[in-house]
Order: sequence, then structure tokens, then C-alpha cells
Amino acid sequence: MIFHKHQATVNDILSRYPVKRSAMLPLLNLAQKEEGYVSQAAIREIAGILDLTPPQVFETATFYTMLNLKPIGKFHVQVCRSLMCALVGADPLVDWLRKHLGIGLGQTTEDKMFTLSTVECLGSCGTGPMMQINDDYYERLTEDKVGRILKDLRETGDCSLKSGPFLVPERGEGVVSL
Amino acid sequence: MSNTSTMVTLTIDGIRTEVPEGTLVIEAARQVGIMVPHFCYHPKLEPDANCRMCLVEIEKIPKLQTSCSTRVAEGMVVRSSVPHVESARKSVLELLLGNHPLDCPVCDQGGRCDLQDFSHEYTPTVSRFKELKRVFPKQYLGPVIETQMNRCVSCMRCVRYCDEVMDAQALAAEGRGTITQITHWAGNELECDMCGGCIQICPVGAITSRLSMYDYRPWMLKRTETICSYCGDGCQITVQRKDDQLIEVNSALGAGRNNGDLCVRGYFGYHAAEHPDRVQQPLVRQADGSFAEVTWEEALDRVARQFTRIKATHGSDAIGGLITTRCTNEDLYLFQKFMRVVIGTNQIDSGARYGHINGVRALRRVQGTHRWTIRYEDLAQADAIMLVGTNVNESNPITALHVKQAVKRKGAQLVTLESLLPVRSTVSNITTLSKHHLEVKSGQFSAAILGLVKAVVESNLVQEDVAREAPEFVQTIRTNVAKVSWDAIREQSGLSQTDVETAARTYSQAERAVVLVGREVLRSLGGEGLVTNLMDLQILTGHLRRSGSGLGCLAEGSNDQGAVEMGAVAEYFPGPAGLHDEESQKTLTRTWGQAVPAGAPATLPEVLTRARTGDIKSLFIVGDNPVESLPGDAGVTEALDALEFLVCQDLFLTETAKRAHVVFPACSAMEKDGTFTNTEGHVQSVRQATEPLGESRPDWEMFSALSVLMDHPIEYNEVKEIFKEIRGVIPGYGLLGPASTPPKVDEKTVAQYVTSGFKEDVDQRYTLDASPAAPEGALTLRLVQSLYHSGKYSTRAKGLMEIEGEGRLHVNAREAGRLGIEEGQTVRLANDGGQATVSVKLNDRVPDAVAWFPEHFDEPVRALFSLKVDPHTHVPVWKTAHVTVTKWSSTNRSIEERSRV
Repeated sequence: MIFHKHQATVNDILSRYPVKRSAMLPLLNLAQKEEGYVSQAAIREIAGILDLTPPQVFETATFYTMLNLKPIGKFHVQVCRSLMCALVGADPLVDWLRKHLGIGLGQTTEDKMFTLSTVECLGSCGTGPMMQINDDYYERLTEDKVGRILKDLRETGDCSLKSGPFLVPERGEGVVSL
Repeated sequence: MSNTSTMVTLTIDGIRTEVPEGTLVIEAARQVGIMVPHFCYHPKLEPDANCRMCLVEIEKIPKLQTSCSTRVAEGMVVRSSVPHVESARKSVLELLLGNHPLDCPVCDQGGRCDLQDFSHEYTPTVSRFKELKRVFPKQYLGPVIETQMNRCVSCMRCVRYCDEVMDAQALAAEGRGTITQITHWAGNELECDMCGGCIQICPVGAITSRLSMYDYRPWMLKRTETICSYCGDGCQITVQRKDDQLIEVNSALGAGRNNGDLCVRGYFGYHAAEHPDRVQQPLVRQADGSFAEVTWEEALDRVARQFTRIKATHGSDAIGGLITTRCTNEDLYLFQKFMRVVIGTNQIDSGARYGHINGVRALRRVQGTHRWTIRYEDLAQADAIMLVGTNVNESNPITALHVKQAVKRKGAQLVTLESLLPVRSTVSNITTLSKHHLEVKSGQFSAAILGLVKAVVESNLVQEDVAREAPEFVQTIRTNVAKVSWDAIREQSGLSQTDVETAARTYSQAERAVVLVGREVLRSLGGEGLVTNLMDLQILTGHLRRSGSGLGCLAEGSNDQGAVEMGAVAEYFPGPAGLHDEESQKTLTRTWGQAVPAGAPATLPEVLTRARTGDIKSLFIVGDNPVESLPGDAGVTEALDALEFLVCQDLFLTETAKRAHVVFPACSAMEKDGTFTNTEGHVQSVRQATEPLGESRPDWEMFSALSVLMDHPIEYNEVKEIFKEIRGVIPGYGLLGPASTPPKVDEKTVAQYVTSGFKEDVDQRYTLDASPAAPEGALTLRLVQSLYHSGKYSTRAKGLMEIEGEGRLHVNAREAGRLGIEEGQTVRLANDGGQATVSVKLNDRVPDAVAWFPEHFDEPVRALFSLKVDPHTHVPVWKTAHVTVTKWSSTNRSIEERSRV
């Protein structure tokens, strides 16, 4: 029961939409936050909450690349491969990561620490090449920097080189208008 | 479309036409003979406009429009074949073909493929796409469906059909863009209604049937339109064969009462008829007890001589007859004629005795016609639909589709009184569409229906004119229901006063309301009384005589209705007319050239009792299989073994036929001509689609041949002549096409009923019998109809057996937890009658404290059940038992196995 302990959040999400089905994406996000990926159990549960069948939730989940349908490592390395980053070396960065992590795109290291994937523009074009690891940005990357980032994360679970992301604060935390 | 809708005039390719407002441009074009090419559009589905193939030019709209989603407007000028429209279509095709494998030579759809046809019409032979095509591996969606997603054009018809029409939501469009594919979900084994609708609706070869994979090219197939024999819905099917091999069954859009939709039994169940176990030669029992194959002459001669001898020695009433309702009207009619005229007995009965007769008797009594006064079209118009004791999706899947459409498209309010939980899964569940679902405790429909009547009477929902015209009727019912407390109703049915009252209000206040009654009521003790009470409910709310409202009893056998109308039941002559109806006696005497027999009739239980006591020496059993359709304590085998002479006429050597002295091989419904009467009362043509297997013959020919050998010839050149005779005997019995109007309520009968007729048994009908309490800790075991099977016949169909090949004990997860059992485990069921070991399947729509077991596989558990016979209508009731469940550990099993050895 993934949503059991989040009953208040689920109720809050459901209260936002006149049509229950509209709550699907927030619930999928919640499930991914909880387990790191959207499990089959979560899909069943969401279907139950929204009065849908699992295939209806599943097809929505497969549409969004940011929802993982398989378990991922502790750190999800997402390298921007859009034009700006590509011009300043996203490809060599990916190659370097593949070599040093010993995995291909979409794969996870054996120790379940790192999952590598490429993503489209993360909106940080002035500071490329860059990548996002879990919720943090790492910018103006060089081989040395990336090496240090991976080492720090593996050893301490954190890295001081991170910057951002500059997200809208959670509801209730402050005033932000975009 | 109603006649009152406004008409709109528009011009399509220079043709002026007038269509009702709201019509889609693509449909308006079709009506003037212009086929706008399309993939995603389908008349059964809401417009989706995703394939962009149906683009047309509409004057004054700057860009091309999709004609499948644009509705007509006054003065609209549409062009569907100007150069830039054609060029747009070419582009769409070029894009679709950019990823299509062009594997037409090995594609089952080749030759009847929309993509192939439109490519032939529009596409240049070159493509600008040089890229590699996507490659999906071939996948099986469950045991009977194959997908080849490389061929998919992503029109989403299958996904939409599964959602909009079937209400199963079992298919998903996985992924996005060019790598979209149709799957179930996340690699799970497909669980759904298996209706085959996705295969039928796929415009290309992306979803095909595994049963006929690579077996044919469409142009090799010979097609026959006939009627499915798996349930009372009477769906029109197109049987397709290559030479003598059955290849496929499907149904065309617009055809029959089903309008092209089929259920799993109709779509995948066609192999039953050509099962290798079919009896193909007449069989005669030898002195050593074995069967020997003989010629027709020898077998017929033996039977004729024995029947003649027994009739001469013991009289006509020493012979009885039973017939299955899978037979055609002509077979049923001729069987009862043979028994009445040649043998001279009224001791005949048919499968309608298993429950349908309860409904027929109540309808005749109250409304004067034993038929539905409504038809499927009325469901679509209804404001409220009430389902009582019918898991309609399982018993009558196409009636269920009509209900689904009425609720989803037309906004009808659904009230369900069922013993199942409204749990949504990828197998459709009609109760999830309910506005008010009343979960009735298993077998307690008597209390539930009484509650409905009580709610109507006590909440002032009785129509004023009824109270005025039949004050005594209303008052008597009021007095009776007042004696039963809501506590007693809740205690027995599990329903609260508020819930029953809300449901009753929804039903009463609906202008047009349809009630459908199913097996839980029809096959219960006092079933006739329960239907009568539902008729009372209709009288009280004023629905009985209102147009578009009425009550229908769902027939389970393909010709339950016909069996009653042909007089193949104990209490009726053809018509049906009572055995003492002088008018009918006169007509029959004139038509048959001799007086109708005067002997007493005998119902199925009576026939068996008389056989046991030796009053009946010989039985003629046509297709019926009482040994396997009644429980062990019914004494069927004892009855049959006591007979001097048993003749069975069947497709298979059933447990009943194995006890016969002579077995005649009969044709399946696929192999003969005739008519079926469906649950609504539509008489539809059954046409021969395949050659009779081996030496098998249509049932009526055997009756005719025997009559000749018994010096009482009733002969016909062809089956149509029998139908002609039926029409003479039952005036107006015709081929009632889809346009036929249902009969009206007979005012005189209703008037008679509400003034005096009801008094006969009203006091008994409105009392609550104390139902025997289940023993402490026992589980209520019910034999239920599975969606994937029909009777025992479907267990010979290989497609259906691949979907559900064995009986498993269905319990919900809570109950399984309570019992400490898991999916797939083996458990032991036991009660005083015996014990059985079965494996467990979790099914969340089974109510608490209840277990379901599919009746089609009841052989191992039949000993647990015991027979009760309705004292009034003689309907055998036995499908509920109380059992204890214990986990069956492996040690126990080995002991069991040793003891068996």
C-alpha cells in the first residue's frame, strides 16, 4: 500500500480536479517519489483510487519519459542532450559516463547506485554541458568535475558542486509567481 | 435519430443531400455513396480524428477538415476528391507506410485490409522515407489473440472499442509516437472479456486471431450467415470455412440483433461443432454392454420396433421425451409432434424447465403474453434499467452490451440487484455502471424483490390511476408487505431500507423503465412467484402498460423461448397454449389429422420419477443431458438404468448417452437449417454452414424417419415445410426481422389479474420464508455461469478451453485471507454430500463468505449439491451448497492418491 501513508496528500490531489481521472499525473508523481519508480503495485493502486483499470494508468505512465517504470539506482544521472549542450560537449560527457559507470543508457550500475539516461533541454543552456542528478543540477561540467561528483555521491550521498534546481517552492512555503 | 430532428441540406461532391442535424460529414457522404477513406473512424465509436485520412475540403473553411469529426451544417459544400484533398491523403498514407512492414503475403488481413485498399487507391509507388522501419516482436495477447504491432496504424479503434463499447478498458496504447504499441499492461497476461472485438475492429492486420493464424486467405472463404447457439441473445454470426474446415466466425456491422458485436463464445467458440469426440455413426448397445457402429437403417429399425413394442405392451404413457433447447424450432416442434402423435403421450419436457419456464408462466399470467413487450431498442431509450439476479455480462453478453450503451451513451440510470461486488477490473462488470447497486445476499432475491415492492407501496410511489382502478390489489399488497419488517428484509437480503427505497424511487420515477430478470430469480425456488412480484411492481408504478417499458426474462439456451412456443414443455401445446385450450386442441387435431393425446403431461423431474418407479419404460432424450445437469442425489442414473429402452440423440457420447441402448448422431446448429427464437422473441434463420459430420443428421429427420417406420408417417421434404406448419398452428409466427414490433400487454388479462387473479397466491408470494441458515463457518458455494462458457457444450471448443480450461474455486482476497488460502493452491471442499479438491482463483467480484465455481466444470463438485424441486413449476434448483474449506496440504494429497490407487 504505497498511498496508505499519504492519504491526506491523495485527498488533496483528488480535491483539485472535477474529473477524478485528471489526478492521474500527480498520483503517478507521488508514486515515483515514494518508490523511485512507478511499480505495478502503484499502478494497480492508482487505478483503484481513480476508478480506472491498470491499462489506463499504464498507458499514461508510458507516455511520459520522466516516469520510470523500472527500479532505478539511488542516483539518476540525466544528461541534457539538446542542441546547446550538444554543441559544448554533451556527447563526450555521455561517453565518459558510460565508460566510467560501465553501463549503457537506461541501465543501472550493479551496485544500484547510478542509472544513466539522456533527457531533453533542462533549461540551463548558458551553463552547458550539464546534467541533473535526482533533483539537483550540475553545470559547466568537465571530466574532473564529473569524476568528483560521482565519487562524492558514491561516498557521501551528496556533492557540494550541485546548483539549483530553481524550482517553485512547494505549496504553502512562500510566494512565487512565474 | 428521431423523426423530429431538423434536417440539414448540404452538397457533397456536387450531390445535394438532406440529412438530420448532427450527422457527421463522413456519414452524410456514405449515404450518397461516397466512401471517404478512413482508419480511426468507426460508427460504433466516438469520433477521434487521429488518423487524418478522411480529410475533405469544406467551402469557407481555410484548412482541410476531418470529415469523421465535423458535423454537417446548412448549406455546407464538401469536396472529397479534389487534387489537394487527394494529395493530403497520399501524404497520410506515405507516413503510415513509412513504418509499415508491407508483409501482406503473410498477413491474415491481406485481401480485406483497409490499408491495402487505400494504398492501392492513392499511394505512389515510391516513398521519400529511407529510414529503417521500427521493429516490434510479434506478441501474443493471451491464448487466442496475436498482435503484430509493426502493422499497426495507431488508429486506436481497438482501445476505444474496448473502452466505449465493451467497457472493459483492457487495452493500453503503450509508449508514444511511432513506437506506440497496443498491449495489455506491463507484460501481464491479458485478462478481459475476450470478445474478439479488437480483432474485428482492427482495420489492418495488427490484431488477429490465433485460432486461424496463417490458415487461409480471405478470398478462399465461403461465408454463411447464421445464428449463434451459445445463449438466448441470438446473435447473427458469419461462419467462414475453407473447403470443409471452419476457419473463422465473425459478425458484420449492422447485422443481426448484435449489430456486429460478439462475445467470446460467439467469436472463439466455433470449434465445438467439429470436436473429434463427435458421434458420427449410429450406435447400438451390444449384449456385452459395448456400443457397435451400425447403419441408420438398423438403428432406426431397432428404435421403431422397441417403441412400437413398449407402446403396445405398456401403453403410450410408458414412453417419455426430453429435448434440449439448443435445437431449432423445427426440431422442437417435430419432436413434440412425434411424441404426441406417433407415441401418443404428453410426457415431454425440455431444457426450458431449468428456469425459463418460471418467467414464461408469470408473464403469461399477468400480461397475457409470454414474450417481452420490449426489445433491445427500448433499452437505448430507457430512462431506467433494472437488472435483477442476472449477471447479464456472463449469461447474455450482448444484452449486456445494449445495457452498457444505454447507460454510457444515453444516460439511462442503472439499478442492479445482484450477488456480486461492483469491482472494476479489465473484465467488464455491469455493476460498476450502476447508479444504485444493491448487493443481494446470494439466493435471497425473494426478500430483495419484496423490499422493492414494499418501498414502492410505502413511499407513495404507486401510480394514482392504479390505486383508483385496482384498489383491492393495491390494498392487499399493502397489507401483505406491511407484515414484513425492514429488519427482516435486511436480515435476509443484506439490503438496507434506505438503499432499497432509493433504488425503488429511481425505477418508479423513470418515464421509461425496463426490468431484466435472470437466472438467480428464474432458477430459484418460487421463481414464478418472484417474477410475478416484479410484474406487480410494474403494475404499481404504472410501467406495465407504458410504451417502452416492460420486463424481460433472459433466456440462457439459444432456443429456450422457442422450446416453450413450440410446445416442447410439459404444460403447453404449441403457441404456447394450455393443454386444455379447446381452440388449440381443435387446430392441432385438424393440422395433425388426429386427436391430441389426453394423457397427463410430465415435467423433467416427473419423467425421471416415473422412470424410477417403472411407470415410464422408455425415454427418448434429444440433446439433453440430465445426468450432468442435475446433481447426484437427483437419482438420474438410477432412473435411466431402470428403463427398458433408452434412446439418445446427441452430438457427443455424454454421461446420459453412455447409458443409452441406441444413440443417434445429431447435427450441430452449424450443420443444419431452421430457426431460433431469441430471448426478445425474434425468430431468426439458422442456416447450414458446414456439411454434417460423418453420418450425423438434423434432429427432425430422425423423428420423421421413425414416424414412417412406426406406420405413422409425418414427412417433410425440407425443413421449411415444418416451419410452414408451425405458422399454421401458431398464427403470426413468422420470421420476425429486426423491425418487428414486440407484442402489447393484453389488457383483459391484466384487468382480470388485478381484480381477482392476484388473490390466488398473493399471501404466499409476499411472505418471507425463513431461509435455512448456513452452518457456522461454512462457505456458500455457488455454481455460476462463466462468461467464457455455455453449458457443457462449450467445453468442447478448443478456443474457449484455452481461455478457461478448468473449473477453479473463485473467492475474493478477503475471504482467501480469512481461510488462509492463496491463488493456485488446492483446497478441499466438504459437506454431508461429499468432498472435492479444487484449486483456487482470486476474484474480487465474489461477495464475502461466498465461493463461485463455474458450472461448466462441475463434475468434481456435483456431489456437494442436492436437488430441490419447485413444488409448483417443477424447476430443479440445486446450484447452491454450504461447504467447509480446508487447505489441502501435500501430505493429504498423497494419502488421497494412495487411497485412489
